[in-house]
Amino acid sequence: MPERNTPQKTLESWKQIAAYLERSERTVRRWEATEGLPVHRREHERQDTVFAYRHEIEAWSRLRTKSPGAIPSEDAGSLAPAKPVANAYLTEHDAITRTMHCYIAGARAGDGDLMRSAFHPFATISGYCQGVEYSGSVEHVFQWVTENGPAPNINPRFARIEIIESIAVVHLEVQRWSGKLAGANARASDVFTLLKWNGEWKITHKLFHWHDQ
Amino acid sequence: MATDFGRTCPLTPRIRGLYRLRMTKTEYLAEYDGIVKTVQMYIDGSKQGKSELMRPAFHPDASFFGYAGEQLAVGTQFLFDWIDKNGPAPKIEPRVVSVDILDSIAVVRLEVAGWSGKLAGSGVRMSDLFTLLKTPSGWKIIQKAFHWHVAESSLAA
Repeated sequence: MPERNTPQKTLESWKQIAAYLERSERTVRRWEATEGLPVHRREHERQDTVFAYRHEIEAWSRLRTKSPGAIPSEDAGSLAPAKPVANAYLTEHDAITRTMHCYIAGARAGDGDLMRSAFHPFATISGYCQGVEYSGSVEHVFQWVTENGPAPNINPRFARIEIIESIAVVHLEVQRWSGKLAGANARASDVFTLLKWNGEWKITHKLFHWHDQ
Repeated sequence: MATDFGRTCPLTPRIRGLYRLRMTKTEYLAEYDGIVKTVQMYIDGSKQGKSELMRPAFHPDASFFGYAGEQLAVGTQFLFDWIDKNGPAPKIEPRVVSVDILDSIAVVRLEVAGWSGKLAGSGVRMSDLFTLLKTPSGWKIIQKAFHWHVAESSLAA
Protein backbone atom coordinates (compact mmCIF):
# COMPACT_ATOMS: atom_id res chain seq x y z
CA MET A 1 0.00 0.00 0.00
CA PRO A 2 1.35 3.47 -0.77
CA GLU A 3 2.95 4.99 2.32
CA ARG A 4 1.13 8.30 2.21
CA ASN A 5 -2.21 6.58 2.54
CA THR A 6 -2.42 5.35 6.08
CA PRO A 7 -4.97 2.66 6.93
CA GLN A 8 -7.20 5.25 8.61
CA LYS A 9 -7.63 6.97 5.30
CA THR A 10 -9.03 3.92 3.57
CA LEU A 11 -12.41 2.24 3.49
CA GLU A 12 -11.86 -1.48 3.71
CA SER A 13 -14.99 -3.12 2.29
CA TRP A 14 -18.08 -2.54 0.17
CA LYS A 15 -19.95 -2.10 3.43
CA GLN A 16 -17.66 0.71 4.56
CA ILE A 17 -17.67 2.39 1.16
CA ALA A 18 -21.47 2.22 1.06
CA ALA A 19 -21.77 3.58 4.59
CA TYR A 20 -19.37 6.42 3.79
CA LEU A 21 -21.46 7.46 0.77
CA GLU A 22 -24.71 6.76 2.65
CA ARG A 23 -25.97 4.45 -0.07
CA SER A 24 -26.59 0.71 -0.42
CA GLU A 25 -23.78 -1.68 -1.34
CA ARG A 26 -25.56 -2.39 -4.60
CA THR A 27 -25.64 1.29 -5.51
CA VAL A 28 -21.93 1.80 -4.90
CA ARG A 29 -21.09 -1.33 -6.90
CA ARG A 30 -23.13 0.11 -9.75
CA TRP A 31 -21.33 3.43 -9.41
CA GLU A 32 -18.02 1.62 -9.74
CA ALA A 33 -19.24 -0.11 -12.87
CA THR A 34 -20.92 2.77 -14.61
CA GLU A 35 -19.66 6.02 -13.12
CA GLY A 36 -16.04 5.39 -12.36
CA LEU A 37 -16.25 5.27 -8.54
CA PRO A 38 -12.59 4.66 -7.63
CA VAL A 39 -12.47 1.25 -5.95
CA HIS A 40 -9.25 -0.75 -5.69
CA ARG A 41 -8.63 -4.44 -5.22
CA ARG A 42 -6.11 -6.54 -3.37
CA GLU A 43 -5.56 -10.01 -4.75
CA HIS A 44 -5.48 -12.83 -2.24
CA GLU A 45 -5.20 -16.60 -2.45
CA ARG A 46 -8.78 -17.24 -1.38
CA GLN A 47 -10.77 -14.09 -2.02
CA ASP A 48 -9.92 -10.68 -3.38
CA THR A 49 -10.82 -7.71 -1.18
CA VAL A 50 -11.84 -4.21 -2.15
CA PHE A 51 -10.77 -0.94 -0.62
CA ALA A 52 -11.05 2.75 -1.43
CA TYR A 53 -9.13 5.87 -0.51
CA ARG A 54 -11.29 8.47 1.19
CA HIS A 55 -9.65 11.35 -0.66
CA GLU A 56 -10.38 9.67 -4.00
CA ILE A 57 -13.98 8.99 -3.04
CA GLU A 58 -14.38 12.61 -1.93
CA ALA A 59 -12.87 13.93 -5.19
CA TRP A 60 -15.15 11.67 -7.19
CA SER A 61 -18.15 12.70 -5.13
CA ARG A 62 -17.41 16.43 -5.55
CA LEU A 63 -17.17 16.17 -9.32
CA ARG A 64 -20.24 14.02 -9.52
CA THR A 65 -22.23 16.65 -7.64
CA LYS A 66 -20.98 19.31 -10.02
CA SER A 67 -22.07 17.44 -13.13
CA PRO A 68 -24.44 14.56 -12.34
CA GLY A 69 -23.68 11.42 -14.28
CA ALA A 70 -20.35 12.69 -15.56
CA ILE A 71 -17.12 10.83 -15.04
CA PRO A 72 -14.82 12.85 -12.76
CA SER A 73 -12.04 14.35 -14.83
CA GLU A 74 -10.06 16.95 -12.87
CA ASP A 75 -9.29 16.45 -9.21
CA ALA A 76 -9.01 12.70 -9.53
CA GLY A 77 -5.99 13.06 -11.80
CA SER A 78 -4.22 10.11 -10.22
CA LEU A 79 -6.94 7.68 -11.28
CA ALA A 80 -6.41 5.98 -14.60
CA PRO A 81 -10.07 5.60 -15.64
CA ALA A 82 -10.93 9.19 -14.78
CA LYS A 83 -7.95 10.91 -16.39
CA PRO A 84 -8.95 13.40 -19.09
CA VAL A 85 -7.80 12.41 -22.54
CA ALA A 86 -7.38 14.69 -25.51
CA ASN A 87 -6.74 11.89 -27.97
CA ALA A 88 -9.88 10.64 -29.69
CA TYR A 89 -8.61 7.08 -29.82
CA LEU A 90 -7.97 6.99 -26.07
CA THR A 91 -11.42 8.43 -25.40
CA GLU A 92 -13.07 5.62 -27.36
CA HIS A 93 -10.76 2.98 -25.92
CA ASP A 94 -11.50 4.09 -22.35
CA ALA A 95 -15.24 4.28 -23.03
CA ILE A 96 -15.12 0.67 -24.24
CA THR A 97 -13.21 -0.53 -21.18
CA ARG A 98 -15.77 1.26 -18.96
CA THR A 99 -18.56 -0.66 -20.68
CA MET A 100 -16.61 -3.90 -20.20
CA HIS A 101 -15.98 -3.11 -16.53
CA CYS A 102 -19.72 -2.79 -16.06
CA TYR A 103 -20.04 -6.38 -17.36
CA ILE A 104 -17.16 -7.52 -15.12
CA ALA A 105 -18.63 -5.81 -12.04
CA GLY A 106 -21.97 -7.56 -12.61
CA ALA A 107 -20.24 -10.90 -13.04
CA ARG A 108 -18.18 -10.36 -9.90
CA ALA A 109 -21.18 -9.32 -7.81
CA GLY A 110 -23.45 -12.03 -9.23
CA ASP A 111 -25.95 -9.35 -10.16
CA GLY A 112 -27.35 -9.55 -13.69
CA ASP A 113 -29.12 -6.20 -13.45
CA LEU A 114 -25.82 -4.50 -12.65
CA MET A 115 -24.41 -5.41 -16.08
CA ARG A 116 -27.57 -4.68 -18.06
CA SER A 117 -26.51 -1.16 -19.02
CA ALA A 118 -23.42 -2.56 -20.77
CA PHE A 119 -25.60 -4.27 -23.39
CA HIS A 120 -27.64 -3.12 -26.36
CA PRO A 121 -31.33 -4.05 -25.92
CA PHE A 122 -31.14 -6.40 -28.93
CA ALA A 123 -27.95 -8.10 -27.77
CA THR A 124 -27.57 -11.84 -28.21
CA ILE A 125 -25.27 -14.54 -26.92
CA SER A 126 -23.91 -17.78 -28.29
CA GLY A 127 -21.23 -20.32 -27.62
CA TYR A 128 -20.37 -23.70 -26.22
CA CYS A 129 -20.61 -24.95 -22.70
CA GLN A 130 -19.28 -28.45 -22.12
CA GLY A 131 -19.54 -29.21 -25.81
CA VAL A 132 -23.19 -28.17 -26.10
CA GLU A 133 -24.11 -25.23 -28.27
CA TYR A 134 -26.29 -22.49 -26.83
CA SER A 135 -27.67 -19.33 -28.34
CA GLY A 136 -30.31 -16.82 -27.37
CA SER A 137 -31.15 -13.45 -25.91
CA VAL A 138 -28.75 -11.69 -23.58
CA GLU A 139 -31.43 -11.99 -20.87
CA HIS A 140 -30.07 -15.51 -20.37
CA VAL A 141 -26.74 -14.03 -19.33
CA PHE A 142 -28.39 -11.83 -16.70
CA GLN A 143 -30.32 -14.82 -15.35
CA TRP A 144 -27.24 -17.02 -15.36
CA VAL A 145 -25.09 -14.43 -13.57
CA THR A 146 -27.73 -13.83 -10.92
CA GLU A 147 -28.29 -17.54 -10.36
CA ASN A 148 -24.55 -18.18 -10.31
CA GLY A 149 -24.09 -15.71 -7.46
CA PRO A 150 -20.95 -13.79 -6.55
CA ALA A 151 -17.67 -14.70 -8.24
CA PRO A 152 -15.41 -12.46 -6.13
CA ASN A 153 -12.11 -13.78 -7.49
CA ILE A 154 -12.67 -13.47 -11.22
CA ASN A 155 -9.53 -12.27 -12.83
CA PRO A 156 -10.16 -10.63 -16.21
CA ARG A 157 -7.65 -9.56 -18.85
CA PHE A 158 -8.24 -7.67 -22.07
CA ALA A 159 -6.56 -9.78 -24.75
CA ARG A 160 -7.71 -7.51 -27.55
CA ILE A 161 -9.58 -4.25 -28.04
CA GLU A 162 -10.00 -3.33 -31.69
CA ILE A 163 -11.98 -0.27 -32.73
CA ILE A 164 -13.23 0.42 -36.25
CA GLU A 165 -15.01 3.79 -36.00
CA SER A 166 -18.56 2.76 -34.95
CA ILE A 167 -17.87 -0.90 -34.12
CA ALA A 168 -15.42 -2.71 -31.89
CA VAL A 169 -14.36 -6.18 -30.84
CA VAL A 170 -13.13 -7.09 -27.37
CA HIS A 171 -11.54 -10.40 -26.46
CA LEU A 172 -11.75 -10.91 -22.73
CA GLU A 173 -10.07 -13.75 -20.89
CA VAL A 174 -11.45 -14.52 -17.46
CA GLN A 175 -9.90 -16.92 -15.01
CA ARG A 176 -11.02 -17.98 -11.53
CA TRP A 177 -14.74 -17.89 -12.34
CA SER A 178 -16.66 -19.40 -9.48
CA GLY A 179 -20.21 -19.77 -8.27
CA LYS A 180 -23.16 -22.13 -8.11
CA LEU A 181 -23.16 -22.71 -11.87
CA ALA A 182 -19.60 -21.92 -12.89
CA GLY A 183 -17.96 -24.36 -10.46
CA ALA A 184 -14.86 -23.67 -8.45
CA ASN A 185 -12.19 -22.37 -10.81
CA ALA A 186 -13.39 -22.00 -14.38
CA ARG A 187 -11.84 -20.24 -17.34
CA ALA A 188 -13.86 -18.47 -20.02
CA SER A 189 -12.84 -16.84 -23.28
CA ASP A 190 -15.30 -14.22 -24.45
CA VAL A 191 -15.47 -12.23 -27.65
CA PHE A 192 -17.73 -9.19 -27.43
CA THR A 193 -18.85 -7.13 -30.40
CA LEU A 194 -19.75 -3.54 -29.55
CA LEU A 195 -21.59 -0.78 -31.31
CA LYS A 196 -21.42 2.93 -30.63
CA TRP A 197 -25.06 3.71 -30.08
CA ASN A 198 -26.44 7.07 -28.98
CA GLY A 199 -22.93 8.11 -28.06
CA GLU A 200 -22.26 5.08 -25.84
CA TRP A 201 -20.52 1.80 -26.48
CA LYS A 202 -22.92 -1.12 -26.03
CA ILE A 203 -22.30 -4.85 -26.34
CA THR A 204 -24.38 -6.31 -29.18
CA HIS A 205 -23.09 -9.85 -28.97
CA LYS A 206 -21.26 -12.06 -26.51
CA LEU A 207 -19.59 -15.13 -27.96
CA PHE A 208 -18.20 -17.43 -25.29
CA HIS A 209 -16.12 -20.50 -24.87
CA TRP A 210 -15.88 -22.26 -21.50
CA HIS A 211 -12.66 -24.16 -21.18
CA ASP A 212 -12.82 -27.73 -19.92
CA GLN A 213 -11.93 -27.92 -16.27
CA MET B 1 -19.61 -28.58 -10.63
CA ALA B 2 -23.15 -28.92 -11.92
CA THR B 3 -23.53 -31.85 -14.28
CA ASP B 4 -26.88 -30.86 -15.76
CA PHE B 5 -26.06 -28.81 -18.87
CA GLY B 6 -29.41 -27.05 -18.86
CA ARG B 7 -28.67 -25.83 -15.38
CA THR B 8 -25.10 -24.88 -16.09
CA CYS B 9 -26.07 -22.76 -19.08
CA PRO B 10 -29.77 -21.86 -18.97
CA LEU B 11 -29.92 -21.09 -22.67
CA THR B 12 -31.69 -22.97 -25.39
CA PRO B 13 -29.47 -25.88 -26.31
CA ARG B 14 -29.39 -26.25 -30.06
CA ILE B 15 -27.74 -29.63 -30.16
CA ARG B 16 -27.83 -31.51 -26.90
CA GLY B 17 -25.13 -34.06 -26.50
CA LEU B 18 -24.93 -34.93 -30.19
CA TYR B 19 -21.82 -33.00 -30.89
CA ARG B 20 -18.72 -32.80 -28.77
CA LEU B 21 -15.95 -30.53 -29.83
CA ARG B 22 -12.55 -32.00 -30.21
CA MET B 23 -10.66 -29.31 -28.39
CA THR B 24 -7.46 -31.14 -27.67
CA LYS B 25 -6.23 -31.89 -31.19
CA THR B 26 -7.39 -28.94 -33.21
CA GLU B 27 -5.67 -28.78 -36.51
CA TYR B 28 -4.99 -25.13 -36.99
CA LEU B 29 -4.78 -25.05 -40.78
CA ALA B 30 -7.99 -27.03 -41.22
CA GLU B 31 -9.85 -24.68 -38.88
CA TYR B 32 -8.36 -21.60 -40.52
CA ASP B 33 -9.28 -22.78 -44.00
CA GLY B 34 -12.79 -23.70 -42.84
CA ILE B 35 -13.28 -20.17 -41.48
CA VAL B 36 -11.95 -18.47 -44.62
CA LYS B 37 -14.17 -20.72 -46.76
CA THR B 38 -17.23 -19.52 -44.85
CA VAL B 39 -16.22 -15.88 -45.20
CA GLN B 40 -15.60 -16.47 -48.92
CA MET B 41 -19.30 -17.36 -49.30
CA TYR B 42 -20.11 -13.89 -47.98
CA ILE B 43 -17.66 -12.36 -50.47
CA ASP B 44 -19.08 -14.38 -53.39
CA GLY B 45 -22.63 -13.35 -52.54
CA SER B 46 -21.56 -9.71 -52.25
CA LYS B 47 -19.73 -9.76 -55.57
CA GLN B 48 -22.62 -11.30 -57.47
CA GLY B 49 -25.38 -9.51 -55.57
CA LYS B 50 -27.01 -12.83 -54.65
CA SER B 51 -27.88 -13.37 -51.00
CA GLU B 52 -28.57 -17.07 -51.68
CA LEU B 53 -24.81 -17.61 -52.08
CA MET B 54 -24.04 -16.24 -48.62
CA ARG B 55 -27.04 -17.51 -46.65
CA PRO B 56 -25.46 -20.93 -45.93
CA ALA B 57 -22.49 -19.13 -44.31
CA PHE B 58 -24.75 -17.74 -41.57
CA HIS B 59 -25.92 -19.45 -38.40
CA PRO B 60 -29.75 -19.62 -38.06
CA ASP B 61 -29.51 -17.33 -35.01
CA ALA B 62 -27.03 -14.93 -36.60
CA SER B 63 -27.34 -11.22 -35.93
CA PHE B 64 -26.28 -8.23 -37.98
CA PHE B 65 -25.47 -4.72 -36.79
CA GLY B 66 -24.15 -1.47 -38.19
CA TYR B 67 -24.97 1.98 -39.46
CA ALA B 68 -26.19 2.48 -43.00
CA GLY B 69 -25.82 6.24 -43.08
CA GLU B 70 -27.69 7.55 -40.05
CA GLN B 71 -29.89 4.48 -39.77
CA LEU B 72 -29.00 1.53 -37.57
CA ALA B 73 -29.42 -1.63 -39.63
CA VAL B 74 -30.31 -4.70 -37.58
CA GLY B 75 -30.93 -8.34 -38.54
CA THR B 76 -29.56 -10.65 -41.22
CA GLN B 77 -32.74 -10.19 -43.29
CA PHE B 78 -31.75 -6.56 -43.75
CA LEU B 79 -28.35 -7.71 -45.04
CA PHE B 80 -29.79 -10.29 -47.44
CA ASP B 81 -32.36 -7.82 -48.83
CA TRP B 82 -29.67 -5.20 -49.19
CA ILE B 83 -27.34 -7.56 -51.11
CA ASP B 84 -30.15 -8.57 -53.50
CA LYS B 85 -31.28 -4.99 -54.09
CA ASN B 86 -27.73 -3.70 -54.47
CA GLY B 87 -26.98 -6.14 -57.27
CA PRO B 88 -23.53 -7.10 -58.55
CA ALA B 89 -20.44 -5.40 -57.13
CA PRO B 90 -17.85 -6.96 -59.46
CA LYS B 91 -14.91 -4.81 -58.40
CA ILE B 92 -14.88 -5.44 -54.66
CA GLU B 93 -11.41 -6.06 -53.27
CA PRO B 94 -11.65 -8.08 -50.07
CA ARG B 95 -8.70 -8.56 -47.71
CA VAL B 96 -8.61 -10.71 -44.60
CA VAL B 97 -7.00 -8.54 -41.92
CA SER B 98 -7.12 -11.06 -39.08
CA VAL B 99 -8.35 -14.54 -38.19
CA ASP B 100 -8.36 -15.39 -34.50
CA ILE B 101 -9.44 -18.82 -33.37
CA LEU B 102 -10.29 -19.70 -29.75
CA ASP B 103 -11.28 -23.37 -29.82
CA SER B 104 -14.95 -23.24 -30.80
CA ILE B 105 -15.19 -19.54 -31.60
CA ALA B 106 -13.43 -17.21 -34.02
CA VAL B 107 -13.18 -13.56 -35.05
CA VAL B 108 -12.44 -12.40 -38.59
CA ARG B 109 -11.80 -8.83 -39.62
CA LEU B 110 -12.38 -8.19 -43.30
CA GLU B 111 -11.71 -5.01 -45.22
CA VAL B 112 -13.56 -4.62 -48.48
CA ALA B 113 -12.66 -1.80 -50.84
CA GLY B 114 -14.31 -0.94 -54.14
CA TRP B 115 -17.92 -1.59 -53.16
CA SER B 116 -20.39 -0.58 -55.84
CA GLY B 117 -24.02 -1.17 -56.78
CA LYS B 118 -27.49 0.36 -56.75
CA LEU B 119 -27.44 0.98 -52.98
CA ALA B 120 -23.70 1.19 -52.28
CA GLY B 121 -22.86 3.84 -54.86
CA SER B 122 -19.28 3.57 -56.02
CA GLY B 123 -15.83 3.27 -54.49
CA VAL B 124 -17.17 2.58 -51.02
CA ARG B 125 -15.02 0.95 -48.34
CA MET B 126 -16.51 -1.35 -45.73
CA SER B 127 -14.94 -2.81 -42.59
CA ASP B 128 -16.49 -6.03 -41.33
CA LEU B 129 -16.14 -7.89 -38.06
CA PHE B 130 -17.40 -11.44 -38.26
CA THR B 131 -17.71 -13.65 -35.21
CA LEU B 132 -18.02 -17.33 -35.99
CA LEU B 133 -19.09 -20.44 -34.15
CA LYS B 134 -17.95 -23.95 -34.95
CA THR B 135 -20.87 -26.26 -35.66
CA PRO B 136 -21.26 -29.85 -36.92
CA SER B 137 -21.81 -28.42 -40.41
CA GLY B 138 -18.72 -26.23 -40.34
CA TRP B 139 -17.90 -22.71 -39.19
CA LYS B 140 -20.92 -20.38 -39.26
CA ILE B 141 -21.10 -16.62 -38.98
CA ILE B 142 -22.99 -15.83 -35.76
CA GLN B 143 -22.65 -12.07 -36.10
CA LYS B 144 -21.57 -9.56 -38.69
CA ALA B 145 -20.90 -6.00 -37.55
CA PHE B 146 -19.91 -3.47 -40.17
CA HIS B 147 -18.68 0.06 -40.50
CA TRP B 148 -19.34 1.93 -43.71
CA HIS B 149 -16.56 4.45 -44.35
CA VAL B 150 -18.74 7.22 -45.74
CA ALA B 151 -16.11 9.94 -45.83
CA GLU B 152 -13.64 7.84 -47.76
CA SER B 153 -16.21 6.93 -50.37
CA SER B 154 -16.86 10.56 -51.18
CA LEU B 155 -13.11 11.18 -51.38
CA ALA B 156 -12.66 8.22 -53.68
CA ALA B 157 -15.37 9.39 -56.07
